[in-house]
Amino acid sequence: MALRVFGLNIIKNNRNILQNVGKTNGVPTNQGAAAALYATQVTVEAAPAAVQKQKVSKAMKSYLKRANEHDEFMKTQHLEFQIGKRHLANMMGADAETFTQEDINEAISYLFPSGLYDKKARPTMRTPDEVFPARKAAEFDETGRPFHSMFYTAKPNFFQLLHDIVEETNKLNDLEERMLRRGNKPDENQKLETAGFQLLPKEHLERVLVEQIADIEYQNFSNSMERLIASPYAYKSKAFIERFLKPLIDQSKQLEVPKPKIDEQGRQYITTYECLRKTARADVTVRLPGTGKITINGQDISYFSVEQSKEQLLFPLHFCDMLGKVDVEANVEGGGTSGQAGAIRWGIAMSLRSFVDQEMIESMRLAGLLTRDYRRRERKKFGQEGARRKYTWKKR
Amino acid sequence: MLRKSFNNLPRLSQLCGLQGRLQSTQVAPVEPAPAEPEDIAAIEQRILKHPDYFQVHNLFTVRDLFNARVHYGHKEGSLDDRMRSYLYGSRLGHLIFDLDKTAAHLRDALNFAAHIAFRDGIILFFNRNALNAHLVEQKAMEAGEFSHTRFWRGGIFTNANVQFDAVTRLPDLCIFLNTQNNVLAQHTAVRDAAKMAIPTIGIVDTNCNPNLITYPVPGNDDTPAAIELYCNLFKEAIWRGKRKRRELLGLPPLEEAKPSKSAGRRFEKN
Repeated sequence: MALRVFGLNIIKNNRNILQNVGKTNGVPTNQGAAAALYATQVTVEAAPAAVQKQKVSKAMKSYLKRANEHDEFMKTQHLEFQIGKRHLANMMGADAETFTQEDINEAISYLFPSGLYDKKARPTMRTPDEVFPARKAAEFDETGRPFHSMFYTAKPNFFQLLHDIVEETNKLNDLEERMLRRGNKPDENQKLETAGFQLLPKEHLERVLVEQIADIEYQNFSNSMERLIASPYAYKSKAFIERFLKPLIDQSKQLEVPKPKIDEQGRQYITTYECLRKTARADVTVRLPGTGKITINGQDISYFSVEQSKEQLLFPLHFCDMLGKVDVEANVEGGGTSGQAGAIRWGIAMSLRSFVDQEMIESMRLAGLLTRDYRRRERKKFGQEGARRKYTWKKR
Repeated sequence: MLRKSFNNLPRLSQLCGLQGRLQSTQVAPVEPAPAEPEDIAAIEQRILKHPDYFQVHNLFTVRDLFNARVHYGHKEGSLDDRMRSYLYGSRLGHLIFDLDKTAAHLRDALNFAAHIAFRDGIILFFNRNALNAHLVEQKAMEAGEFSHTRFWRGGIFTNANVQFDAVTRLPDLCIFLNTQNNVLAQHTAVRDAAKMAIPTIGIVDTNCNPNLITYPVPGNDDTPAAIELYCNLFKEAIWRGKRKRRELLGLPPLEEAKPSKSAGRRFEKN
């Protein structure tokens, strides 16, 4: 039975292989030049005075052995996968030739129903190419000589990057010195704009370099990058610097603000559904222009008898200076007074985004008006009076 | 050590003439051309009998060493007793190397490096002085060899198969452009190379211990001008070995990397 359940264990065993895979992709471009430098060409010009026996180093031998073993392993895995697929197609009463990966997934989830929460832990059947990704190519030639000049640091890509940063910095310093001598000043118009950008975070950089780096090494990287960016002629190395910058994303810009619709009276309106707070649920409609009329389940603001709830309701309107300029209609159910008031408050704030400018949205976000309040009632514990309060206890 | 190098800035301009000489010299061994191509291994053995097969003696003069400020040691108080025999004397509290002795040691070291390069060996440059790290990395690349100027993770030599996740060929020669991590501690790779029987060439200053170095070269190991001189000399010696090998095997010569503008630009006289 070739049907295999590729679980987490296999993934875990092959973590090293997984890490190695990327390394081949992430090798910097200048390694090509280095590889060319070591390449053994066989064009013979004159009669050679000496001949060399082809020696294969231990390192290369062991690599070739590993590569061979891997190829054999993959071959058997492929075979078993094909057989498993046929069995599965038979079981499902389908044609084995036209049985696709989607059919396999369906069959597996039908035959092996799993309630496991983590999707990775559920049984799957995929091609061996996906389960066992390709392995790292050799980092050295047949004599065992590594391709990269900093191979023995064990993090050649990272240290090559540091080397390149210093190279750029030296170039700019040189330029600055020459310009100073000539009495020229850096071009103010071309100044490098880095205000909306940040350096690649550590995890991202690791992915780019395909190497694990320590915190202190990342610190070294960011220090030297900052020094490079601080140079008055940094715009000359713009292409290099921008490879390691990432735009900062404004939180409130990510959420798309809905466009208001027009009702039969010609007024703009926006409806927010599913406004949740505690166990209350509301939908809120805000209309512009309005007179400040507030309708909650057909009643006015006196629907809430508690002063705090009324204040809660009015807070977003007051914050945006929209009191008396819009009409609010809300249908609310479930929960208690404060929950309902909170749900409507959130709905009003979310709807008002369509009627105010970007700056106001940002300050509403900072004021916490656009944040869903996930707090729920905490259960009572036995042996205690409430969620936290203990019974009165007197020693004597 | 910074102060030591900056105190001597006026002398920078004297460091000249070396570049030209480096280019002009050629390997000129007397070689009886055999009719039949012979095994390169036999040639490797035979040329060992020649005292200076790659003509490394003409790479530099004592004057070049002096101009590159190789003769400056550290202060008297920091002297390691094992370095006493290489000294010429002391001036104003600073120790001065005997450059004749240094030149003899350096020629031995260059000859050895050229032979290793001829035998297709892997040569690894070391340097833990941040001031010179970029220069050393650059020169190692130009020589088509390897460099390690960073924190030494223990076990790169002694536990290589685990460190690199595979069987790895270790370098055949380590060249230490300084042998100290800082003024107090020796570079761990000096010990590790000795453990793994990897021959070493080391520039040893007056405060260093030459005992574990196979080819110690007494001299200043801090000043960028001196480091650049050492790097250029080793680079040229390595290239002579490589060129000779390719010539004998009848292979076309390799393209030699052009010296970068930025590395060592401050120490060239133009």
